[in-house]
Amino acid sequence: MKHEVIFSGIGGQGVILAGKLLCTAAAKEGYTVTLAPAYGQEKRGGRTSCQVVISDEIGSPVISEADLILVFDEKSLEDYENKVKKDGYLLINSSMINIEPKRTDIKVVKIPLNDVANEVGNARTANMVALGAVLKYFDLISLEDMKQIMAKEMKSSIVEINQKALQAGYDYVG
Amino acid sequence: MGEKLFMQGNEALAESAIRAGCKFYCGYPITPSSEIAEYYAKRMPEENGVFIQAETEVAAFNMIAGATATGNRAMTATSGPGFSLGVEAMSFMAAAGLPAVIVDVMRPGPADGDILAAQGDYFQVVKGGGHGDYNTIVLAPFSVQEMADLTPQAFELAEKYRNPVVIVSDGMLAKMMESVELPEKIEQKKNFDWTLTGAKGRKHNVITTCATGPEQWEQFNLELQKKFNTIAANEQRWEAYQIEDADFIIVAFGSVARIALSTIKKARENGLKVGMIRPITLWPFPKKAFAELKDKDFLVVELNAGQMVEDVKLAVPDKERVFFYGRLGGVTPTPDELFNKIRELYAKNNQ
Amino acid sequence: MKVIYERPKILTDAYFKYCGGCGHGLVNKIIAEILEEEKLQEKTVIVWPIGCSVYADKYFNVDSICALHGRAPAVATGIKRNLPNDNLVIVYQGDGDLVSEGMSEIIHSAIRGEKFTVIFINNAIYGMTGGQMAPTTLLGQKTTTSPYGRKEEESGAPVNMAELIANIKGCYYSERVAVNSPRNILATKRAIKKAFNYQLEGKGLCFIEVLSQCPTGWGMKPLKTLEHVEKEMLKVYPLGVFKSPEVKNQ
Repeated sequence: MKHEVIFSGIGGQGVILAGKLLCTAAAKEGYTVTLAPAYGQEKRGGRTSCQVVISDEIGSPVISEADLILVFDEKSLEDYENKVKKDGYLLINSSMINIEPKRTDIKVVKIPLNDVANEVGNARTANMVALGAVLKYFDLISLEDMKQIMAKEMKSSIVEINQKALQAGYDYVG
Repeated sequence: MGEKLFMQGNEALAESAIRAGCKFYCGYPITPSSEIAEYYAKRMPEENGVFIQAETEVAAFNMIAGATATGNRAMTATSGPGFSLGVEAMSFMAAAGLPAVIVDVMRPGPADGDILAAQGDYFQVVKGGGHGDYNTIVLAPFSVQEMADLTPQAFELAEKYRNPVVIVSDGMLAKMMESVELPEKIEQKKNFDWTLTGAKGRKHNVITTCATGPEQWEQFNLELQKKFNTIAANEQRWEAYQIEDADFIIVAFGSVARIALSTIKKARENGLKVGMIRPITLWPFPKKAFAELKDKDFLVVELNAGQMVEDVKLAVPDKERVFFYGRLGGVTPTPDELFNKIRELYAKNNQ
Repeated sequence: MKVIYERPKILTDAYFKYCGGCGHGLVNKIIAEILEEEKLQEKTVIVWPIGCSVYADKYFNVDSICALHGRAPAVATGIKRNLPNDNLVIVYQGDGDLVSEGMSEIIHSAIRGEKFTVIFINNAIYGMTGGQMAPTTLLGQKTTTSPYGRKEEESGAPVNMAELIANIKGCYYSERVAVNSPRNILATKRAIKKAFNYQLEGKGLCFIEVLSQCPTGWGMKPLKTLEHVEKEMLKVYPLGVFKSPEVKNQ
């Protein structure tokens, strides 16, 4: 069994945190998990992405083709559209991306991450909205388990709003 | 069986060093190694240890020389540019017999370059970089678990041979997070007769690398060479994957070896008999692994313009059968990319 | 309609990558304004550091070199001493570059009285590498390598560079300024302009220390950082002139 996921966006959007939470949950379930982040040198505004591999055995942290890719911004879409496996999922942040993907052999899901986050009450929870949506396409981790992990890993003052955002993302792709 | 944690490579390395009894850390922040400094800054007050943010790498490398001269375990971490600043001290510590541990988290060069994965420090770290005839043991972990396993061993080897030991990782391994079982916590056993602690009740000890004449200095060097030859004979380490029936053997270390694991799987699924030799010690280079491998082709894959490939050519029976594939600038090849390269070489060979 | 102000044309189209509220953006712009007003674009060479301003060479239509960490004053020495005297060589550095890695280089440039202008951006932290302690970090200030707050017994006290450099004979002019208010920004521009003029007159090392805000590193909102400079940094780093040809007996 192997699941390969890529998250990509702009530095400061919480792209890597979303990946870390996914991995923490999967590691708790006993899977062999690897998260490999990548960033630019700038403190803010550079590119960030992470590659997540959830598997039964040790292998490459670098992904050739992913089962699911989530892109926050247009440059990420340009960079990663071709890395989705045939029949894999491409989750697009329609709040920031107006261009259409060119491939016809993948499943495209559009979610207005920033708009949903604003509705939930905090624009910075867009990454949790994304995580909620991602969980829908994985049988591995339940929403409840993820909420518990968030309660452990996040500052108590922001746990609730982030859990709300997670739920909103999950419900959006309903 | 200890508890499994989900930890970042840098932090797992730092925690393992602390558990190995290394309570003195100094260093200068440089991406992608800074988490090691930050981890030590947080933990040292709890452990009654010392964390110093050195003003430069030159200072840091000389601080660990001083620290190990007292017999205590000491470590610094840096990246390529910082290691370059420290090589004078590497020469010094090897000659002076100081068992410090140095971590080089490699990043793409040359010069300031970028901060992702690279292996362009192989020459610098393995061939010395500093002046004179000396060597340092170089360990190359390829997973967060191996970082945790090899770090305590680095301190032991350094003390066993009275020589600095380098642990090389890279910008990907350092930032990667994986499940890891950390080593047991131990107290360092100090039983040295050469350290500088104040000559109470014993003859005084002197640590110097200043020669008093060519005859003396040649003798000093011959003793050093004996040390390095002993290490080379006894400490070569590597891991072999499915090489017995392999036509093609990938040779890779660190993160590239991880990528290659997936390549081997795909190759075998496609009927290509591919294996891998993964050096764990870059110095001493595991020549023993290659010496008897006749009738095999080798693909050396590195994140540089071709550095370890020279040592592979020296180690195999037929250097004409060694091929090279490299990526530069912090770009890492995908498993598929390596698979396609192997397929290409297979096709060429079968023409 | 009359244009009374526009973005200096000496700047390229690249947008500044500095965080919102960062002092670098203000100082970069001040330098650009001066170079344009004084028509110095074609005579200037800027030596940039390793730090948050590492990509500043992309923002200026001016000959630039990005030096190794800490070595800018040494590189500038090589440049200044090999160009005609009417060239303007500017050295731009942050805390890590000037005070830590490059302490030897700046001290010796001052000792030799090198004739270039040093603009030192002091934000009491290492920004680019993720918020580590600097030698200029305030006592009690929490950073990633002083997680419990900087303690004097462990890491010493913050160092005052403008005063330190002023005490070296080869330093011709040393002033500390800030950019946390319009008044201070204007004073910073006057100080840097003065320093440039001294260089063009062939005088010794001119050192301008600029206290700067770092919202990301300090974990504060931009408005709060302006207050922090005023209330906390000025206590340790007073504004003022520490070496000047206009004052005797210095």
